[in-house]
Amino acid sequence: MTVVIGFEGSANKIGVGIIRDGEVLSNPRRTYITPPGQGFLPSDTARHHRGVILTVLKEALEEAGIKPDDIDCVAYTKGPGMGAPLVTVALVARTVAQLWAKPLLGVNHCIGHIEMGRLITQANNPTVLYVSGGNTQVIAYSERRYRIFGETIDIAVGNCLDRFARVIKISNDPSPGYNIEQMAKRGKQYVELPYTVKGMDVSFSGILSYIEVTFTSKMLTSDQCTAEDLCFSLQETLFSMLVEITERAMAHCGSQEVLIVGGVGCNIRLQEMMGVMCKERGAKLFATDERFCIDNGAMIAQAGWEMFRSGQVTELSDSWITQRYRTDEVEVTWRD
Amino acid sequence: MAVPGEENNHKQGKLEFALDVPFPSTREASIAFKSLIPDREPRKGGISKEITVSDSTLSVRWRADETRILRVSVGSFMDHLTLVMETMEAFGPPVPV
Repeated sequence: MTVVIGFEGSANKIGVGIIRDGEVLSNPRRTYITPPGQGFLPSDTARHHRGVILTVLKEALEEAGIKPDDIDCVAYTKGPGMGAPLVTVALVARTVAQLWAKPLLGVNHCIGHIEMGRLITQANNPTVLYVSGGNTQVIAYSERRYRIFGETIDIAVGNCLDRFARVIKISNDPSPGYNIEQMAKRGKQYVELPYTVKGMDVSFSGILSYIEVTFTSKMLTSDQCTAEDLCFSLQETLFSMLVEITERAMAHCGSQEVLIVGGVGCNIRLQEMMGVMCKERGAKLFATDERFCIDNGAMIAQAGWEMFRSGQVTELSDSWITQRYRTDEVEVTWRD
Repeated sequence: MAVPGEENNHKQGKLEFALDVPFPSTREASIAFKSLIPDREPRKGGISKEITVSDSTLSVRWRADETRILRVSVGSFMDHLTLVMETMEAFGPPVPV
């Protein structure tokens, strides 16, 4: 049996999870929530993480009923993400790895999402849509790499949603995306927004600017459309773009499976729209709920488990964090 | 112990800051050292930071051009050090090897 503990804190969530051979033993998490209209800044987020990480770690061990001695490897997020929060988590991971005399393993955050999605859904070789506040990528596995077939050329889809929420002062509790999703259900009319697919890539920054300039100033104030209409229209537009590039990647790879991962992946409307496309192609859709879609410690433990079992470890001297770390930089030593 | 190049630094008008942190044992000082050194200083120029460990004491020496830059680096290091020490307190002492 191999037991891996995983530490995640690359954005505003801090989580510690423990995995024993594919079984999630514990996965506690805390979220740093900012007031409406405000995003989370690196130094404030790091302060939040410092304040709770040891409590979350204790919870993870207690819930799992695991003693440090039972652990085989300590995994942590090496990147990508915000520098200060990443350092906070890496410091604790390095310290406990040494205190407990266990090997350390730096994990790519995106790979964590993919491996957790594969574990939970049992999807074998899916085309992966990875959508979150910091990342938007369509990924397929080939020859020991998770290769990026399409991605955003500017901001992430979740960042577009988060910033839209800030513009019209939607609450960040539990998350801006969740609140937009609820408001969108009450939208009555579709307002046309720019649709910006560029080959296999997508662009979201212009859509956000367009809304900022056109709607918040004119339409909302003159009652031409409601905030709910905007939420609805924004979701329909963004998600259509994502479904389009995912379908093209599937056609290219001859793939019959789609896996949605990342925080935006728990949006039910996105899952519905992707489901329609999959049905038309006779393909299967796999998605997870907010426990595993949203950043969590278990996903780092799971990717760490795969890496550790294939013989990888990270020396302390190589355990520096990195804000930029592409999905396709990692050699996938645990798959054929 | 004299800081190497101290005289030069004074001539160049550099600010200096020194910190010595005692730990209960050599092993714990070494753990803190190895936890704190992997990440490089985010700022490229205007500051240098040297971390060393000797027996059970962790030592840090900063040299900077401006107080503002020095304060940010020292403040951030203190946050990191505090977290490492809290982690040791909560999950230590280190297992025998």
